[in-house]
Amino acid sequence: MNLWPNLHYAVAMVLFCIGLYTVIMRRNIIKKIIGLNIMETSVFLFLISIGYLEGGAAPVHGHGVDPSRMVNPLPQSLILTAIVVAVSVTALALSLVILLYRQFGTLDVSRLFREEEEAG
Amino acid sequence: MKRLVSLFFIGALALLLLYVVSRMPPMGDPGNPTATRVVPRYLERAEEETHARNVVTGIIINYRGFDTLGEVTVIYCALAAVLAVLGREKRGRIRDYVELSGFPSSVIVRTMVALVVPFILLFSLYTILHGEISPGGGFQGGAVIGASMIIFTTIYGLHLSSVKVSQGLRSPLEGSAVITFFLVGVLGLFGGGNFLTYAWPKVSQALHPALVTWLTVLVEVGIGLGGAMVLVSILFAMVREEGADEPLA
Repeated sequence: MNLWPNLHYAVAMVLFCIGLYTVIMRRNIIKKIIGLNIMETSVFLFLISIGYLEGGAAPVHGHGVDPSRMVNPLPQSLILTAIVVAVSVTALALSLVILLYRQFGTLDVSRLFREEEEAG
Repeated sequence: MKRLVSLFFIGALALLLLYVVSRMPPMGDPGNPTATRVVPRYLERAEEETHARNVVTGIIINYRGFDTLGEVTVIYCALAAVLAVLGREKRGRIRDYVELSGFPSSVIVRTMVALVVPFILLFSLYTILHGEISPGGGFQGGAVIGASMIIFTTIYGLHLSSVKVSQGLRSPLEGSAVITFFLVGVLGLFGGGNFLTYAWPKVSQALHPALVTWLTVLVEVGIGLGGAMVLVSILFAMVREEGADEPLA
């Protein structure tokens, strides 16, 4: 069992579950989006910690650091890409939420469903 | 009941994930497969191959250029979708847009923001231009520019900030990330290499380091400006509240 050395991974998993709980249980759509962002962040944390090296340095040459002591640059570039995609997804979701609020005047999912039933 | 089922499901998922995590090799161990397989090749050869001292920038712009090109397209598509949903602000009507907060910000806040925003912009320029020799790059710098505009807009209001960063300035620059990246890629074809090749075979070897460095900086600047303008446009589309858009229900 490596739970204690892998504490970063474990925290990422707990964060993921917190985000999933928020997405499932909260009825406010904006809180659901916040939960989605928490889940994304937990995945970022997980991947970045996989690339960590004990006593490692930043993967930048020219400071006299031996390449074997540098942390893994691959997850970092992957996450840089993923953060931007996450921002794009959040922006699109929030703009849809704005439209929804203008239309129905509420962000509560259950009330939205009820209004839809009454309308259709 | 539904709550109990969800809690049970999430609890079971958490236990499963924690179990898997506890069986993974210890974090930060130099003998991990993640540290011994692909990465040494990148770390040892990146500087001579990409001429970028920052290996992360080398990977993003050079090794995985296709990936980043597609991802830049994703940001642009997100902007297009947001504008399709919310609509762009109309020129000349911007004075009619209601300020969302009824409370004018205090003199202290206004002065501080006016003092701080130029330095944030300077820092973002440094982040963009130094991306290949120190931590930083186009995406990060663009995000910093976007953040500075968010501060400015929340304090000074949409009207003033849309005068400072007008629509005529933003519209051409929003696509600059995609366009710069694509043009640099096509230039690689004319230089005798493949798409998105930076070291062109038709150019003499002695010029390669300077060529690759300048092309990398060009792509970084394009990504930075494009990303920043996309963020600002999304912000303006969201902040704006039109009187004409009455709720239909």
